Formats: sequence, C-alpha cells, structure tokens
Amino acid sequence: MAVKRINGTELEQMLRNGLANLRAEEDEINRLNVFPVPDGDTGTNMVKTLEHGLEQAESSAEVNAFVRSLASGMLLGARGNSGVILSQFFSGFAQGLSRAVLIGPGELRNALVRGYRVAYSAVQKPVEGTILSVAREGIEHIRGQITRNSSIDFILSAYVAEMHKTLILTPEMLPVLKDAGVVDSGATGFIRIFEGMVKYLRGEILEDAAPKAASEQTPAADLSLFNENSLFIDGYCTEFILQLMNGPSYDQDFRLKSFIGALDRLGDSLVCVQDGKRVKVHIHTKAPAFVIEQAQRYGEFLTFKLENMQVQHNERDRIVKPRAHKALSVVAVVNGAGMKTLFENLGADCVIDGTATMNTSSQEFVSTFESLDADRIVVLPNNKNVILAAEQAAKLVSDRNVTVLPSKSFVEGYYAIAMDIPDEKDLERRIASMRAGIENVVTLSETTASRDYAYHEIRCRKGEEIAFLSGELVCVNSDFKDAILGALSMVEDADDRETGIVLRGKGVSIDDEDALREAVAERYPMLELEFVDAGQEIYHWVIGII
Amino acid sequence: MQQFVIMADGTCDLQEKFQKEYDIRVIPGHIVLPDKSDIPGPLTWDRFSRDEFYADLKKNPNGYSTAPANVEEFKNAMAEIVKDGTPLLVMTISGGISGTYGFACTAADLVKQTYPDANIRCIDSLRFGPGFGLMAVCASKLRDEGKTMDEVAEWLEANKNRFHQAGWLDDLSFVAKKGRLTNAKAFFGTLAGIKPIGEFDYNGLTTVIGKAKGAKAAYAALLEYIEATGEDLSEQIVFIAQTNRLPQAEKFRELISERFHPKAIYINDVFPSCGINIGPGLMAAYYIGKPISGDLSEERAIIEKALNNAK
Repeated sequence: MAVKRINGTELEQMLRNGLANLRAEEDEINRLNVFPVPDGDTGTNMVKTLEHGLEQAESSAEVNAFVRSLASGMLLGARGNSGVILSQFFSGFAQGLSRAVLIGPGELRNALVRGYRVAYSAVQKPVEGTILSVAREGIEHIRGQITRNSSIDFILSAYVAEMHKTLILTPEMLPVLKDAGVVDSGATGFIRIFEGMVKYLRGEILEDAAPKAASEQTPAADLSLFNENSLFIDGYCTEFILQLMNGPSYDQDFRLKSFIGALDRLGDSLVCVQDGKRVKVHIHTKAPAFVIEQAQRYGEFLTFKLENMQVQHNERDRIVKPRAHKALSVVAVVNGAGMKTLFENLGADCVIDGTATMNTSSQEFVSTFESLDADRIVVLPNNKNVILAAEQAAKLVSDRNVTVLPSKSFVEGYYAIAMDIPDEKDLERRIASMRAGIENVVTLSETTASRDYAYHEIRCRKGEEIAFLSGELVCVNSDFKDAILGALSMVEDADDRETGIVLRGKGVSIDDEDALREAVAERYPMLELEFVDAGQEIYHWVIGII
Repeated sequence: MQQFVIMADGTCDLQEKFQKEYDIRVIPGHIVLPDKSDIPGPLTWDRFSRDEFYADLKKNPNGYSTAPANVEEFKNAMAEIVKDGTPLLVMTISGGISGTYGFACTAADLVKQTYPDANIRCIDSLRFGPGFGLMAVCASKLRDEGKTMDEVAEWLEANKNRFHQAGWLDDLSFVAKKGRLTNAKAFFGTLAGIKPIGEFDYNGLTTVIGKAKGAKAAYAALLEYIEATGEDLSEQIVFIAQTNRLPQAEKFRELISERFHPKAIYINDVFPSCGINIGPGLMAAYYIGKPISGDLSEERAIIEKALNNAK
C-alpha cells in the first residue's frame, strides 16, 4: 500500500506501534552492554522517553500540533544519553514539521534531516557509531532518491534499511563496541522505533506490550494504617494536571511564580511544572479543597489524584523541597542511603536517588530545579550517562541559572561537593573550587562479573571479580581485593597519592571492608582511606583516590 | 617604672614553660568530663595523654564541655594582684566565640568597688588557642622592652587584627556543632583528604577561606599564603598549634623554618579548654602580618591563587 500523506493521528498511531516494537526488544537492547555489569538500561531509557512523550502529547489530526507536544513531552521525560539524543531528534523532527498539517514526502525528508542535525548539535562531542550515525546516514543516503511521488512507506522502509547497514558498521566506528562484540544499543533502539512505524503502515499493528517497570506501578495502599483513632498528620499527596482555560470565567493572567506562592502556603513538597497551557502540580497538603480552589481559578483538571499519605507506600516522592532561599544550591544524583546522607551532610540541597541504573530523567531534574529557591544551582550528575539529561534539563529551565559540573562518578561528585566553600560569597569562586574537586580524581570500581566476557587481553568468567579504572575494565581476579589492588597498580602515580574515599556497596560486609583496608595499607602504607557505608547497587566498591 | 601583670585565660594554651619564660599568669576555665566531674582546664597532659584525650573526644564529642572562669573566680584572681597596687592587663579568648571577656569586665568593675584605685585593662584578643597565646607572648615582650601597661594595651588593640592563622582544620564537625565557625551548617560531612584552610575573620571566628585537595597541596598553598600575608617573619616567634596532628605539625614546622627562618618556632599543643571545641583536626601556624581585611576578601584571593599554584 502506497501511502502518500499522513496526518497527525496516523503519525501518533505509527509512533505507538514504534514504541510497542521498541518495548518488545527492551531487554535485549539493555543487554547490548559493553561491560559485563548489569547496569545496561538503554532500552528502558528509550522506552520511557518515548512513552512520556506519547503520554504528554495532544492527539491532533494536525501534524504540527501533535508533534510539537510530543517533542516537548520527550524533552522532559528524557532519561539516559540515548533518551536525551532521541528526544533531541524528535525536537528537530518537530521543528521540521512546524508548519505542516500533513506529512508528505518532502516534509518527511526535511523532518528526518532536521531531526539528526538537532540531535548532533545537542551533544557537545558527537560520537560516531551511535544513534547519531544511523540517523544521519539513514536519511543522507536516500534523500537524493526522494521525489514528490515517493510514498511514506517507501521512504521509511528505505530509511530503516539504510540505518541497518550503518548499524552493522557501528563496531567499526566505535572500537569499544567492537571489542565487546556488540552493535550500538541506542542505534538499535532507534531503528526499532522506525521499524514499528513501517509495520503500522503495512497493517501490522502490534499489541502494546504492557509496561513492566515495577517501580512505576503504585503499590497497593495498606488501609489498615489509618482508622478512626488515627492522628491525621501527613496530609494528602495531591497530584494533577491543570489545563489552563480561555474564556471569561477563568483568570487569564496565570503566572507560575504567583501560583507557586499561593500553593506553597497550603502544604509542602510542592512541585509545579508548566508546559504551555498545562501545569503539572504535586503537593502534600491537609487541605486539598483550597488547592483545588486555587487551581480552578485558571482552568480545569485533566487528571487528578489524591492519596492519604499515611496509607500510601510509594516512593515517588523522592524529591523534597528545601525551604530556605539560598545563593547556591547543589543537586546531586546518588545511589544508596549512606551515599545520600554523605552528600546531604556535605551540604547538598537535593539528593536524587538515580537507582541502580542511574537513569534520572530530565523531568526529574526540572522538577527539582523548580522546587529549589536558589540564585544558582549546581548539578552533580555523578555518572556519565546522566550528564546529558541534566544538561538538557538545564536548557529547559532557561530562567534558572543552572551549572552542570560533569562529574562522571560518585567519588568525583563527592570531591566536588567536599571542595565547596559555603562561606564564600563569590559564587563563581565556589563553583571553581567544586570544579577543581572533580579534577585529577582516580575512580576505581569493583564488582562481580554478570557474564563471561572478553575484551582485548582481558577475559573473565561469570562470577569473577572485575575492577574498573575510569570506567575501563582493567583487572580480573578471583579475589576482590586483588582485583582492586591490580587496578590500583595501573594508576601511574599511585605511590604519590595521599588519600581517598571508599564507598562500600549494598550487601558488602564490614569484614570485607576491614580486609580491603588491610590489603591496601600493606601495599600502599602512605595512602589514607576513608570508608563510607554508601549502599550503592551494582558496584561493590567505588573508590576515589586523590 | 611600675611593672604590670599580664593575665590570660586558660584558652591561651601556653604551657608551663611559656608561662614562666614570659611571666604570664593563667586563669583556668572549667572543663566537664564525661563522668560529669568539673575540673580546671589543664595546660599539661598529666591527667590524660593527648592521644587518649583526643581519641576519647572523637568517640564521645558530646561528653565533654567547657566553661570560662566565672566572675567570682576572675574577681578573686584579679584582687590578689591589684590589692598592692600592681596594674593588671587581662587578655581573654575571642568574644566571637566565648563570653569570657564579659565576665572579666564585670569582675574588673567589682574589684574596683573594693579597690577604687585598681588599674585593670581587659583586652578581647579576638583569637583562641596558640593564636591568643602568641598575642600574650607579644605583650610580654613589649613589657620587657619597658612599655607601660597602657602602651601595651594600645598596641594590642591596634594590632590584634594582624595575628594570622594559616593552617587547616580537617575535622570541622566540632567547631560546627559548637557554633565556632561562620556558616557552620554545611560542614558535618566526611572530608576524605580535603583540607579546609581557616583564617580568623574580623570578629575572631574561624572562617574557611579555601580548600586544598590533600596535605601536599595544602602545605604548598599555606607557605605561599604566609609569604603573602606575613611581615618580618625572620624577626618573629611563630607558634604551630596542633590538636592531634603532630606529624603534620612537625612537617609544617620544618617547611616554615626552611623558608622563613623565624627567630623561634614552637609546636604548641591545644589543651582541652580549646580542644573540646575544636576537635582533633587542627594544624595551623600563627604569626603577625598584614591587617586582615574586613570581609576576608583579600585573604580569599591570596589563598585561591596559592591553591591554583599548588595544583
């Protein structure tokens, strides 16, 4: 069937099919991980990003209206580097269609070109062998063949076919993929989306695989926790999306700042995010009626949720609003209760638990920024897969002064915040000191291999202890201490280094800590290590040496 | 010319040797031990050793507390000296961190009721520990040069803002808890290897003006800082205070001696009256130099440059 033009509704159906197609291979894409560590989450991050976009999108037969709202939803929901790049692609795609009510061959070609160009420009150092390469070559190799008579299904089929050719070459472009014997996971996910769209045009409608992320499902409330004798202390967790309305019965002068001011008096943990004529609100309050009254001055509810927090057991309220105004607030992404305390004690105003796979979304950052009353915000992403999402969020809140310090590990982030000088009034100087904290930190991490693996001369069996130096697998041993010492011996100036911090992971015993302390002291008697029960997942040990 | 007596409260950390050498009377404050016994703040390690004391303090920071000598004690000690007409110069720990100065002034007024001709001058040193001790030593040396009590007092008022602290406090939890640090809120965390560099601000509070990554960088930056802020160091006595950082203090002494050749340089322990509020992590040199700027902006700029050079 040759489809010459599609409208917004059809594009939405196609993308839903694309999402289903991506979701069907989510786990497989997660496993396309360079290292034998179970923290691969590219598939999940791309699913979440596109899913969030489709949830937020306004269905419309007009392509530009639909795709504009889709892109803004994706920008907010982006998680992980692949998610950020995907959202940027669709942002460009939407720009290319900003005046299009229908998509014809020319519009599609322009949008696919604009998409990859915007994605490239969003990344500071574009890396070939990724989504960027397949998206670029996919359209560049066929754009000359696209004419006024080309059908949409022909263009997309050819686009997918070209992208497949590039995908096979990604290991040649990016040595790390070649060594691991995998193709790029983000590029694979990207192709799956467009494959799903082509399938739709061929009449192959996929059953939407049910969302499976357990964390997103609200656990059942335990109603026995509240009865006629309970003291009502915690209030209601109140969440809604408000549609700002036109018309004489609504106040047309909506200002987010004064709206926040009005709600702030009614409760706490307030988060408000505005996206065009919609406002997403989250507040803990004992008096929801007043909140509703405030909101209805400006519009009507699209969704509304009210839960008694004393019977509610979900962990979505990970973001707590600090109250006082500050010149500079620090936002840090961590993993583990001990690490959270460590960063809080050093003065972090907002600590986001990135969970095991460290895939904090831009939306989470934006909500966090909105919740802070600070002239300047410094973000410590503490993972190379979070930096881009943080930077994207920083751009989305252009009215706030946000600086993302590119800390690639927990220990780099630790040394950044430990170097903060809260006494200093010159904020540039404080930020410079934190930036200096990141410099020259050697990051070592250690865990147990989750599968067999070969990488240059490095081979390991599932269950062996593996140590990483600056993110590279460098040492395999049957004993974790020897793996760490082996990695440490590869640090050129290890003998000159004075001190360091050791973050002990979840489930690692204090006996192991003593054993490690002794083993390191014997080999490096001058190296003073401070141990912290941090509780991070995935890595048993994360060590920063300065 | 009539000689006068210099009296300093026990937070000056001058051990017996210095008390004798410089003829400085010390009026001890109180310390309360974990067993609730209230003893005069010692300036010796007779009762417990330095290592024992700081190890126990680290384990049990809330078990110890301090209090200045009370008005009655000040009054009695002062009366003993002024009753035969000897003028008395009383120096106290920084009013920014303790109420001792107020007690001393009240006591002086009471003494004057009994001895209307008593000549007592009270000086708020705006310093603590060996920084305060160094100031008392300077007062003693001026007295040796034949200066009158009023001349010495004027000199102290005019110059106390020139007494610098160049060093680090690598365990800030104590000063933060006891409110002896500006903006203490954000300082409770573990600081693995980070050395916060502290200087006195205009009100006598310690302020962190920079942070060094590791001891090596800290030493290098501190020497540069002393170079930039000190004056006539070769003519001076320099004190190095240490709570429980003796090896680092010895190293610092060596580095300062080599570079600045001061007349004398002493490592001075910090005894419990100050130590309880500072904790085990202090290692700092005290010397006289340029006046400290009102907002410490000049000092911050100097240390920033020094830290950059030390990288």
